[in-house]
Amino acid sequence: MFFNRRGSKKYAYITARVRAMKSKLIQREVFPKMMNMDLAEITRFIGESEYKQDVDELAQKYSGIDLVEHALNQNLARTYRKLLRVSQDEPHYLITEYLRYWDIWNIKTILRGKYYGAPLEEIQEAVVAAGQLGYRQLVSIASMESIDDIKVALENTPYHSAISDYQGGMLSTVENNLDKLYYSRILSSMDKSKGEKLSLKFIRTEIDLKNLKTLFRTKKADLPRDEIMELLIPGGAELKDGDLRRLVSLSWPDFIKSQEDYSYWSALSEVISEDMPSLMDVEAELDKYAMKYSSKVSHYYPLSILPIFDYIVRKNNEINNLRTIARGKESALSDDIIKKHLVM
Amino acid sequence: MVDISIADATVEQILANQKGLIAIGAGLAVGLSGIASGIAEKDIGAAAVGAMAEREELFGKGLILTVIPETIVIFGLVVAILLLFL
Repeated sequence: MFFNRRGSKKYAYITARVRAMKSKLIQREVFPKMMNMDLAEITRFIGESEYKQDVDELAQKYSGIDLVEHALNQNLARTYRKLLRVSQDEPHYLITEYLRYWDIWNIKTILRGKYYGAPLEEIQEAVVAAGQLGYRQLVSIASMESIDDIKVALENTPYHSAISDYQGGMLSTVENNLDKLYYSRILSSMDKSKGEKLSLKFIRTEIDLKNLKTLFRTKKADLPRDEIMELLIPGGAELKDGDLRRLVSLSWPDFIKSQEDYSYWSALSEVISEDMPSLMDVEAELDKYAMKYSSKVSHYYPLSILPIFDYIVRKNNEINNLRTIARGKESALSDDIIKKHLVM
Repeated sequence: MVDISIADATVEQILANQKGLIAIGAGLAVGLSGIASGIAEKDIGAAAVGAMAEREELFGKGLILTVIPETIVIFGLVVAILLLFL
């Protein structure tokens, strides 16, 4: 009976709306055109598109690359907040959990800023208030003197458990804890929404791709086994705990070869080799895989959270591409290098 | 209660009885098909409003798609008319 199709009535509105929003994203054919523009033209171009409001608002305060950067960040935050505003019940809950990514991102940014003694303004500029912590709250956290104060400020948030053990020193443990906390929260929230197997797989694939990136980086840098294991996030779709342990203990050439056993090989086979100089291509391919995967699964169950996740991924990707082009043009990088960084 | 068995009923009584059953049938045809199209339109309407909120030009398409399940009620109505008048 239709009563078993849990919550689909709540998805009809939000998925249709998100699809309409998706149609307003910048088409992939436009990015190569943007490569021929200079920074002023790019600013004007995005000022005439969906980013109009943000560019207009910030044009008095900033100019040049700063204006683009801030407008992009503000637009991202505004778009994600809008998703939260227009959704309710189950989709709202899942979007909230998924967007906690930005809270984690902001906390990491603030902690790093504090650790290296960056000025408040710089930290303020780097935060993207797209999660549960609002811009004002983030600014007040960022304006605190020490990391201990930040610990106290985060006391009533779910992130406190990740940071409470921090006693000074390198931040990598805290950052790992935050990542693990984020993924364990979102995995457990998915379990509650019954029958959402594909959504669960989507998140698990995301964990796999994140773990793969970590593995590539750490194996290439030849980090000790235990340290790598610490950095990996449990709960992947294909790379289960056993696989991760096996991959970590392999040597670099064997590690490369072992990638053939997993389905991600289809994305990696072209760019992977034992003596590749940089991991840029591998990471770009993994990002592309993530995007293709999310758009593929978003068509499987139109009345589910998947089209919304797909939109979140795409929007973030659009912002990243625009930022890459703007930054690349500003630093006068060649078109080929910029193109390599674009994920389309 | 008056106990009427079919064998004792007059022709008029049986005809009146049949008329009543036909009216119930016609009512069910319209009523149930109305509920069914309501259920079908619920999601489409919500989706149409969602799409329209982002892109106003989708109003026409949304409206048309929303009323497509209305055909079910028309079938119900046709059946009811056939029952009542033929």
